[in-house]
Amino acid sequence: MRRHFTLAAAAGLAVALALTGCSGSAVSQSGGGASSSAAGGEIVIGALHPATGAYAADGQQMNNGAQMAVNAVNAAGGIKSLGGAKLKLATADTKGEPETGSSEATRLIQSGAVALIGTYQSAVSTNVAAVAERNKVPFVMDVSNADDILTKGYTYSFRLQPNASTMGSLGFDALQNIAGDAHKPVKQVAFLYENGAFGSSTLASFKSKAKAAGVKLDPVIGYDAASVSDMTTQIQQVSASGADVLAVAGYYRDGVLVAQAVNTVKPKLNAVFGVANGAFDQPQFVKDAPNGGDGYFNANYAIDRSNPDALALAKDYQAKYGETMRTSAAESYDAVKLVADAIDRAQSKDPAKVRDAIASTSYKPMAANKGPVHFNDKGENTNAGLIATQILDAKIQQVYPAAGAETKPVYPAPISK
Amino acid sequence: MTTTKPAPPSAPPSAVVHRATRSFSALAPQRTRHTLLTTAAVLAAAIIWAGVSAGSGTVLIQALVTGILTGGIYSLIAMGLTLIYGVLHIINFANGAMVGLAMYLTLTFVDGTGGMHPYIALIVVVPAMLALGAVLQAILLNPVMRAPLQVQLLITIGIALAVENILLLVYGPNPRSVALPGNRAVKIFGAAVELSRIYALVGAMILVAVLWLVLQKTRTGTAVRAVSANPEGARLVGINIKRIYVLTFAIGTAAAGAAGVLIAPFSTIEPTAGSIFNLTAFVVVVLGGMGNVPGALVGGFVVGLTEQLGALIMPGQSSLLAVFIVFLVVLFARPTGVFGRAS
Repeated sequence: MRRHFTLAAAAGLAVALALTGCSGSAVSQSGGGASSSAAGGEIVIGALHPATGAYAADGQQMNNGAQMAVNAVNAAGGIKSLGGAKLKLATADTKGEPETGSSEATRLIQSGAVALIGTYQSAVSTNVAAVAERNKVPFVMDVSNADDILTKGYTYSFRLQPNASTMGSLGFDALQNIAGDAHKPVKQVAFLYENGAFGSSTLASFKSKAKAAGVKLDPVIGYDAASVSDMTTQIQQVSASGADVLAVAGYYRDGVLVAQAVNTVKPKLNAVFGVANGAFDQPQFVKDAPNGGDGYFNANYAIDRSNPDALALAKDYQAKYGETMRTSAAESYDAVKLVADAIDRAQSKDPAKVRDAIASTSYKPMAANKGPVHFNDKGENTNAGLIATQILDAKIQQVYPAAGAETKPVYPAPISK
Repeated sequence: MTTTKPAPPSAPPSAVVHRATRSFSALAPQRTRHTLLTTAAVLAAAIIWAGVSAGSGTVLIQALVTGILTGGIYSLIAMGLTLIYGVLHIINFANGAMVGLAMYLTLTFVDGTGGMHPYIALIVVVPAMLALGAVLQAILLNPVMRAPLQVQLLITIGIALAVENILLLVYGPNPRSVALPGNRAVKIFGAAVELSRIYALVGAMILVAVLWLVLQKTRTGTAVRAVSANPEGARLVGINIKRIYVLTFAIGTAAAGAAGVLIAPFSTIEPTAGSIFNLTAFVVVVLGGMGNVPGALVGGFVVGLTEQLGALIMPGQSSLLAVFIVFLVVLFARPTGVFGRAS
């Protein structure tokens, strides 16, 4: 069945390219028409996530989150302006590969998806955004932070989460405020980053903020997240530099290596501070890191724990899937809900009209935000926010900003005991 | 740092097609001396350069110690790979997946026995992997041993995909970990080191010694070397070469299993946890001379130290950059690897 689809999509794409010279709008609309008549009025939303491969943990959670949103919309009576039409989620496995991302996006569009969400990885989203633009089908990024996806003048792509440079600058603000409130202002930050697009752009914006605030950034150490297997030398460099804070922009496995090395070298630090770190706010990190990662900070996009709806969602997720809901899954939930709301307001499943409705959204998300989602002309969510968490008593607790905090931050953090 | 390495005059251009004939045995003394002297000179230059770049003695010592320890891990993982290549001439892309599988078996053993010491899992995991390797070779690879190289290659890639996705199906995608009782940090000349990593290095040394003894001192080992050197000749003197293939693949898989158990305590256990070492392990195997078991140990140290010193000399670059610079220079100067030999 699936092979059949892929073949059909490939053949369709080849014909479309040959006949229309890359303007694929006719293709997507005829595809949408054909599918909706076959599916009996169902509205298809395509979800592209890495369900297998190294990022499967997040990918599968994100598909679950998206499915929960579809279920919630259907349970509440479907899309009301279209006579209660039901939503249907079509998932595709990107395997974490950019080329698979674009072929699967094409397949979903050909089989009638009115909107796409995804994809967790910036490299994959870059390709999917190009496919979405070419076919004039809206694409809402749940998780993908590289700035340059949305600097190409695309009109059909939108991003819910803060981009990498926003996370770098908001992360620095969070660190400075937490340290300032504890009357131990930050003097020198050691910055450890994965040297891909995410780490580098986070570093760039963190650096300019630090420079403006007169905080010394030294040493700055990059590493290759895919192959690194030991961080002891890097942490020894941090220890020798006399920095009072270690900031880390990286992913899960390397985050655990950092924690192991910090526990081995025991540098004198006031804090280990994650900047959009993929490890320091994961429930699993508490099990995997030495001393349960006690005292580790992370400034990251997150489920808004001051919002009762978000807490209820996380609880439902736990009950349904037996594991703690990750922020990425909440972002996928938000992406589907936002698209459903746009379809309702557009009173149409024409992708171009849905796109216009998405552009004027004011959806209230489950992820921590400074207000309702608002997209600027580039497609960035101008209200995207982040919060800081700290691991205290083996629990990941929201400590910043003070308004939604579950508890007060402990600074200097008890990291080297 | 690497331009000081002169091309040895005796390396013939056709040496790429080398057989593992004598690579299991000791090297010619003169050649070994030459290689060791060049390696030592290059290493000394790199250490001085890295020390100046780092500007701190502790950092330099830490880099050296960490380089040796990660090198031990790399050679541990590369051991099965090089053995299988040496005898079967198959590049085993499933090696990393086997390491990953062994990590999960360790996890299951520790959980299933109510938190027993993870190293005791060796008693269960190594025989299990030995059996798995034998079955894979007997059923999947033996029938195609005379087929072109890419057929065997694709089969090992297929095994890797199957193993990783079965792990994903059975254990789910969330990362796991295994705790090592009594694991703590110790100081070596001011460098901080986790005990678990020292144990892994010791394990790598023991594994090399065991493989070396089996290959050199037993009748079976002699048969394995004979098949490696000349399969037709071995068949003529009455060696059942298919059985030797099964045995070698089984031992290679068991070595990957031992590696998985030993690195489990400091690894994030995910279905892809073993395959992240694939690229590095191939470099180690080629540097050490393909098919050369002790060479893999030296190759591991070379890669480990290059990574660490390279990161100090070229901050902000991927540690693999330095590794591949060294790799290319070595391949240019010695196409058969530092310790490989042309036949």
